[in-house]
Parts: sequence; structure tokens; C-alpha cells
Amino acid sequence: MPEPLLADYPEAAGRYDEMLGADGAPRMHWRALYDYLANATPAAMRARLQSVARQVRDNGVTYNVYADPLGADRPWDLDVLPLILGHDEWVGIEAAVAQRATLLNRVLSDIYSGEEMLSEGLLPPELVHGHAGFLRPCHGISPPDGVHLHVYAADLARSGDGQWWVLADRTQAPSGAGYALENRLVISRAFPSLFRDLKVRHLARFFATLRDSLAYWAPRDVEAPRIVLLTPGPYNETYYEHALLARYLGFPLVEGNDLTVRDGQVWLKTLSGLSRVHVILRRLDDDYCDPLELRSDSALGIPGITEAARRGTVLIANSLGSNLLESGALLGFLPKLCERLLGEPLKMPSIGTWWCGEEAALEEVIEHLDDLVIKPAYPQLRIGTVFGGDLKGEARAAFIEKLRAQPRHYVAQERVRISQAPVWDRSREYGLSAGAIGLRVYACATPNGYMVMPGGLARVASGRDERTMSNQRGGASKDTWVLSPAPVSNFSLLRRTIGPHDLVRSNVHLSSRVAENLFWLGRYMERCDNTARLMRVTLGRLIDGAFDTPGRESACLMAICQFAGVLDHDSPAERDAVEARILESLSKDVGLGANLHQLLRIAMQLRERLSLDNWRTLNHMLADQAEWERKPPSLADALTALDRTTANLMTLAGFALDGMTRDQGWRFLSMGRRLERMQFLCMSLQQAFALPRDAELDWLLELADSIVTYRARYMARPEWLPLLDLLLLDTGNPRSVAFQLFGLNDYLLRLEEIYGPCGAEVLQAPLQAIQELEIDRDLRPDSERLLSLLRNLQSASYSLSEHLGQRFFNLAGEANRQTFAT
Amino acid sequence: MSEPRRYRVLHTTGYRYSAPVALSRQLLHLTPREFDVQRVLEHQLSIDPQPDETTTSRDYFGNSITHMVLSAAHQSLSLAARSIVEVMPRNSAAQVAGSPPWEESAAMLRGVAGGANLEPARFMFDSPHVESSAELLRYAEPSFTPRRPLLDAVLDLNHRIHEDFEFDPIATVISTPLAEVLEQRRGVCQDFAHLMIGCLRTLGLSARYVSGYLLTMPPPGHARLIGADASHAWISVYSQNAGWIDFDPTNDRLVDNEHITLGWGRDFSDVTPTRGVILGGGEQELAVHVTVSSTDEAEAVAPIAATQSQSQSQSQSQTSATAENSGQIAS
Repeated sequence: MPEPLLADYPEAAGRYDEMLGADGAPRMHWRALYDYLANATPAAMRARLQSVARQVRDNGVTYNVYADPLGADRPWDLDVLPLILGHDEWVGIEAAVAQRATLLNRVLSDIYSGEEMLSEGLLPPELVHGHAGFLRPCHGISPPDGVHLHVYAADLARSGDGQWWVLADRTQAPSGAGYALENRLVISRAFPSLFRDLKVRHLARFFATLRDSLAYWAPRDVEAPRIVLLTPGPYNETYYEHALLARYLGFPLVEGNDLTVRDGQVWLKTLSGLSRVHVILRRLDDDYCDPLELRSDSALGIPGITEAARRGTVLIANSLGSNLLESGALLGFLPKLCERLLGEPLKMPSIGTWWCGEEAALEEVIEHLDDLVIKPAYPQLRIGTVFGGDLKGEARAAFIEKLRAQPRHYVAQERVRISQAPVWDRSREYGLSAGAIGLRVYACATPNGYMVMPGGLARVASGRDERTMSNQRGGASKDTWVLSPAPVSNFSLLRRTIGPHDLVRSNVHLSSRVAENLFWLGRYMERCDNTARLMRVTLGRLIDGAFDTPGRESACLMAICQFAGVLDHDSPAERDAVEARILESLSKDVGLGANLHQLLRIAMQLRERLSLDNWRTLNHMLADQAEWERKPPSLADALTALDRTTANLMTLAGFALDGMTRDQGWRFLSMGRRLERMQFLCMSLQQAFALPRDAELDWLLELADSIVTYRARYMARPEWLPLLDLLLLDTGNPRSVAFQLFGLNDYLLRLEEIYGPCGAEVLQAPLQAIQELEIDRDLRPDSERLLSLLRNLQSASYSLSEHLGQRFFNLAGEANRQTFAT
Repeated sequence: MSEPRRYRVLHTTGYRYSAPVALSRQLLHLTPREFDVQRVLEHQLSIDPQPDETTTSRDYFGNSITHMVLSAAHQSLSLAARSIVEVMPRNSAAQVAGSPPWEESAAMLRGVAGGANLEPARFMFDSPHVESSAELLRYAEPSFTPRRPLLDAVLDLNHRIHEDFEFDPIATVISTPLAEVLEQRRGVCQDFAHLMIGCLRTLGLSARYVSGYLLTMPPPGHARLIGADASHAWISVYSQNAGWIDFDPTNDRLVDNEHITLGWGRDFSDVTPTRGVILGGGEQELAVHVTVSSTDEAEAVAPIAATQSQSQSQSQSQTSATAENSGQIAS
């Protein structure tokens, strides 16, 4: 046995060790990985770890703990070593999970239709009528082929004797399958040859089957079914996963407000109007789905969706009300239900669980409290998990009193010493440690029964205490490799063959919300760019002393800073105050800092539409901001910081210019940018016109990022005539007013071809005016025509923004509200 | 009061909005329920403006429910439910004395093993407005002395709630938690019904919430009942011998043939007369009028449409500027 690898590896001590057999030698199916690790150098392993960490960071894999998209996004904690399961063992798990999914689907179907199990006494009525997840308005809704559970997950763990047990069932909207997919992408790259040689079974077919099955059960219509993924939004802790799955499965990611029910059918609000939705794969809790019939205080749902489900015009997966089976109290009744409904014994036992609502169970539980874990009987009860052994003296007595007062609200579970699996010990150079592990296994309904995903989300406790094994409590995760005896298919969702009839040239079904977010993403990218340049110019003058020379330029710059929100309107214009304020807006939520925050917030809303490259840049910006918040930059560092920011923004702009398809979404983003740029330029020029004729103008060209062009053309001190020609009229200069104006007009005309009038008329007067400018008469700061053109352009851009909002975004805008009368 | 009585009911609900409503969906529990002691002789629901669609079906509890959708922009919505209902006497008083000890009922319900007991099992557990608690148990206990006949104990609880709590239409809104009602000792009929249901369920009994009406103007010589000018609420308790027996804690009495039943559920949320979701609307103003007259002197009563102006119907109206749930309980 190679000493260094196992030097600090803990004894299993009564636990099952996933990797090592009772004799201390690696089990057959672990041998390849074990040998690989034993022969790897510390440097090679360090490189693997770094590569995993980098991919997690760069892909922006996160788990929002406190549901703040900026504050608490925690990077996904992924161990470099997979959990490996052999073929024979997997066959057993697969059959048991498929059976359980079949059984639970039957139970659900019974409860929501006939209630035979209740009448026969196989299920205590309390478990249905006392469960807040029993949705009475959904009673009587029968989905196609009686399939309620389209996606099911079982939380499994293994006891000391090697037996697998079910700890809990996830029947509403199981999370984690997307993270399992992400883990696979990362870990298979960390050990590419091992992954291939071990014939690890692939996950892609599972997702393809899910997609095809949903389409199969979609309401039958002439059109191809539209499937959407419904998310509660970016504040949800697993939003990253929603975006990932939406992108992977090719479903639009929608929020409740993107959908509406009309004529008993569900529609997506798009730029071109309403577009029919046939299937909703939901990650929104079921009572939140409909503020009309279900939870009346839900702001996330779609009023009328229950009625649409009742009429069968939409398939909701999983069906509304499936949360009902997420109850530990149910576990004890499953063996009999299985015999009754499937005519066969339950293949995998549930962990010993007693529902305290049964009198005999309650007394047993109190007697053996020390060895039990007490949990809420239903997820809706606001009760935390309690380890009986932790309770001493008065606390114990008080807890028993609580149990006796509301026994029906509690279940008790035995504590199993669950198995341990090796993890790479990151605190040392080289070597393994071990952690308690649990495995979430997924199944999806297909017309031929349930299909189990060959793999799963393995979760590992930070130590050997299984209490810490949850994503919310800070546990890590692992990829799960299921080995195949036969060659595995290389099928991947991403490599599906696309025929000519599948070709899609542009996304005419862009949702209003996405269009609005893209528009504002464009505006904020530009606004950040303007602010960063403005700060750089101002800082430059502070550093080289130009600020102190009594000049009119500085006063003018201060006025621009005020308009752009870099300085408050009542900020003192002294050197120290200006300097302090500019540094502050790098480290705090003001000025540039506030704009960057807003930019990142909007980007978060567009997560599934932005490529990974965009995310890498955005994540770098996020990291920079966090760094500046921790350690505010000095005056000297500030210029570098601003250079970085500007470069990052240029990178984003480059992706937008070079990497995005010229579809409607891109047009909205570009219109946002151009509108913002035009406003800023018009404002800055108007301020500068107040300067005397001989004023210095370099800074203005810098502000407009046109200094290089100017110097190349004129090789002389900037003067008004050539400057105005470059910044106003030169249609070849992407920073000129004319460039923005003609571009905006062009985009609007293109949108008009599809959507009808879009507000281009407000630009027609300025367009004419700019073409009528005469160079020798009007290209001077005191030209009344010029001044009025700039003013008109500014007001036109305001009204255009408003017009676009009303024309395209108001479908997304307004919130539903509830009313009552008696 | 031992003969069937006939009532004419007019229940109007009017919303006025300061801005147009683009889409309105409403779930209406405005049709009186037919069951062994009540027949609906006539019923008509008028909605203005005309909705795109209305669908009437039975809800989970067997009540009639109407789902309406209105997608034409509108700044007012009025609903008028007109019914003629016949109510049979129940003679519940006779059941009270002979009912078995309350513990037996609770034990029987606890041991429910399916079959005939599924119906009471629907009304035994916590519901959105009624959460069992130690405080409720403490309040209920004095009425539920050992071996006391179930219905006698319930009648006593009914009486105590009437004595201990003050009817106060402005003290509570529908979202006021039960604990607060219990502490303040004031509220309206919905609160008293919820409170009593909570007490009974905490004891392991099955109790449901009944929504309905009372006669607006009493017969000569009778006192006007509380809650008569708006929709009313009371409770029904399950007794294995006698079935469901209704009690009205607001008026300290057993329900006989003066109460007209709209429907029942676990609590207010299951049978809210009008529950909806609107898009837009700005500020809203709500006016609810209920008029119930006896048709036993039918010849003297004007046709339904004119009833409103002749009777002394009162109204409650309120405005709401927020997007929060708005709803004032009329009684």
C-alpha cells in the first residue's frame, strides 16, 4: 500500500468505505483511479485541483445561499475525485429508484383522483389533509397517462453493511441534476483518459429522454410543442442550475411574469406578441404557481394556470400538488402501498422513520430520543432538524413537551453511520482524506416507464459528520461515475444532428423581459464605460496638476461629473473632495460602483443568454469590485483600476459586436448602447460649449475615446472645428453623434419590418437637422442651430427610450395583484 | 320556527378602479349550496362588464364555484348574485342533549381508518387561517370538561366566545392572525368562526367554516342579528351520531332556518365569496351590499331588481392604494 496517499486516511470504523474493502485494498471498480492517484505527483494533482477550481470560477457555478445575486453567491464546492459505482451495484439502485418513482406516481395519482388508499386505510388521512402541500384545487386534474411525476429524485445513503437506504424523496421540483451535469463537465476534463478507459456512462441521454418525454406528453396540437423552464428568478438559491438546464435543454428560461393565461391556454409574452406554451418544466414551488387558485400571496406565479392545467391545455411537470409526497411521515407506509399498488415488495428500504402522529410511535420516539433525529413531518412546517442526543436537561424536557403537544408535526429518523468516500485533502500537498457521503439519484418519466440517470449528485460532508452534508450547510459535491461493462455511446445533447428543417435564423419569440434586460444591459455597459472614462480623465488632471491651475476646463469637467452622477450636485469642487469621491466610487455603491453593480445585476437576469466568455469577464469584474471593496485603491492604484475596468468593458462590447448573433435581442442591446452614448456625448458637448474659444480640448476627445483618431488626422492642438467634425458628423467614427443617430434609426426601421411602428419618428427631425448643418456656419460652439440640435437629440433619446418601454416592455412590466371581497 | 322559510338574497360587489384593469380573473363563491336542509329555487349571477368567459363547476368541497375572465379594459366591475332559497328547520337543539362524550368523538376521529370517516378528516387539521395552538387549547378547555356531551360542550364554547369577544368591524382584517384575535378579544364573524374552529380542531375534533347570510330585517318583534347586512360566517362541527351541526358564535345560537348557506370549507380561504387577481387598476374602491328578505310575505315584496333601494342595505367601502392584498370583511 503506497503510504503517502493513505497516510491520513481515516479508518472506516464501522462505516462502509466506498473505495477500500474490508481488507484495506481498493475495491475492483476503484482500482484504476486509486492507481492513478498513487502514481500522480503532487504537482500534477495541484494542477488538476487548480483546473477544477478555475473552471468552477470561470463558469460562474454558484449556489446562492442567502439569495442575494451579488452578496452571497457561493462558488460551487466540487471535490476533484468522483464517487465510483460498479455496474452490478448500479443495476440494483437503478431498479429500486425506478420502482419508487413508479410507486410514488401511483400514490399521487390516487390521492388527486380517487382517494382509494385513504379509504382502504393504507394511508392515514392526516398525511394528506394535514399536509400543507395538498392542493385541493388540483384534486381531479388528471395529467396525460396519469403521469404526475416527470422528474423524481431520491436521496440515498449506505449503511455499514453496504446496504443502500432511501433518506428522502424529492417529488416537487428536484434540484441538482444540473449541478450533476456541471460536475461531470468539469471532472471528466480533469481525468480525461481515466474517464474514457473506465467506460463511465454518460448523462446526456437522460436529459434528451426527459426532453423527448415532455414533448410526447405535451397537449396535442398542430405545432411543435414549446417547452419552457419556469424559474422563481435570479434570487433563488439554485438559479445557476435553472439557467444551465435551460441552456442545455434548449428551453427558454422564463419567470412567472413572462407567461400569461388567455382563453384557458398559457402564452409566453414575446416582442411579437403572445406565443403559445405547451409544457412548463417548473422549478417554482407548486403553491406559488397560481396566485388565483393556490397561494394568494404569491407574486411569482401565473394567475389561471391551474385552470389551464385542468383543461389540459398545458402540461406542468411535475404536476401541481406533487409536493404532497415530500414528507418523512409517508416513508413508513410505503412498503404496504407498494404491495397494494404494484403487487411487489419495495426494493430499497427507507431509513427507519417514525411519524409521531401515531401514538405508539410517539412513546417509542421519546424513549429512544438520544439515537434519533427529529424532523418536521412536512416541509412547510417551520421546524428545524434536532438531533435528540444533543438535548440535555431542560431543553430535552421542553422538547418532549413540544413533541407531545403537536406529535403529528414531527417524524423521527434513526441515525445511520453512513458510508465514507475518499476526498482529495486540499490542506495538504498530497494525500486522501474521507467524508461521509450521500447520493441524490434522478429518474424521469418516459412512455416506457421511469428512466434513471446513470450517475447523480454526490454530496460529501466536510468531515465525517453527516450533519454538514447539505448544500445549504456548506458541504461539497462530487461527480458520480457509474461504470459500464460495454462501450458507452458518445451521444451528447450538444451534438445532435440538425437538419435543414431545424434551421432557425432569428429568435422572433424573444420574451419581452429578455428584450428589456438586453436593452438595459446595453445602456449600463455604456454608462459604466462613460463613467470610467470620465473618472480617468478627471483623475489624470488631479495627478498631473492640471486640475489645480485655475482653469475653466476643470469647472466644466466637474459639471459633467455631476450630470453623470460621478459627483453629487452639491459636491464641493475642491481637489481633496473630488479625489475622495472618485476613489469612493470605486470601492462603494456610488457613481461607477453603483453602475457596475447594476450592470452585473442585469447580467444576472440574462444569465442563460450570455455566453461563458461573457461570464468570465463579468466574473473578473465582480472579483475586482470585491477586492476594491475590501481594500479601497489609493490614488495611484485607481488609474490602473479604471484601466482594467475600461478594458473589461471593451471586452464585453467586443463580444457583443463580434460574438452575438444579429437577432432582435442584439438590436435591443445595441440600441441601449447607442442611446446612452448619444445622451452622454450631447450632454458633454453642451457643457463644453460654455468654454472660451481658446480652451484646452484634449480631455473632451479623451472622454469620447477619439483622441488617437484626432491626433492621427491633425497632429495639432485640438480645435473646435475639426473636433466637432469628428465627434458630431463623422459617420465613420463609432463615437460620433451621427454614428449613433443613423444606427438607431436603422435598428428601428428593421424592427418596424417585424413589429410595425417602433418610434423611429422621434428621430426624424434631428436626422434632418444634422444633415442640414453647414460646416463653416455651424461647427462652432456658439452656433444656435448646433446647440438646439444637441438639445433636441437629448430629449428625443428620452422619449425614444420611453416609447420602446411602452411598445415592447410593458407586457413584462405590470404586476398582478390580488383582490378579495366578502 | 319549525317550517321551511324562503329568502330572497341580493349580494352585490362593486369594484371601481382609478386606472384601467387590463385583465381580471375572479373566483366566485356566490351561489348558495343545495343540501339536505336547503334548496335553491332561483339563482342568477350578473356580471358587468360582460366577461369573456364564465365557467361554473364544483370545488373540492362540493360548493358551486364560478371562474370568470375579463380581458377588455375596464374601470369598474360589478357582480350581482340574486337567489331565492328555501331553508328547512334543523331542530338541532334536540341533538345536543343526547350527544356522546366529546372524548369519544375525538378518539373515533383519531382512529380514523378510512371509509365513512373521510369526510370529517378533511376538516380536522390546520388550514391557512386556522393554526392550532396551545393558547387555543387553553381557551377551549373550560368548556370541554371530562365526559361532557360533545354538542353541549360546543354550545358552551359558542356562548363563551359570544360573551368574551366584542364585535368590532374595524379591529381586524382577513390577514389578522388568530393569536391576535384571541389576545385582543375583538373581531368579526369570520374571526369568531376561525377561533372556534381552531379550538375544536386543537381538541382533535372536526370543524368546518360555513359562509352565508342572515335576514337583513328581522320579523316584527325580533332583534336584528349581527352580521345581517353583509355576508356572514359560522361553523359546523362533526358529531358521529348527528352528523354536521352548525353553531353561530357571533349570535350565540344554534343554526336553524334563519341562516342561508353559501358553502363550506376549512376556513375563509376556501369559500371567499370573491377572490381575484387583476392586472393594473391603480387605486380601487370596493362596495359590498347584502340584502336578505323573507319571501314568506312574498306578495308584499317587490321584484328582485328593486329590492336594493327599498331595503336599508348598508355598505362598507374602502380604498386601497397599495398592491397588497386588499379586502375588508363585511361582518
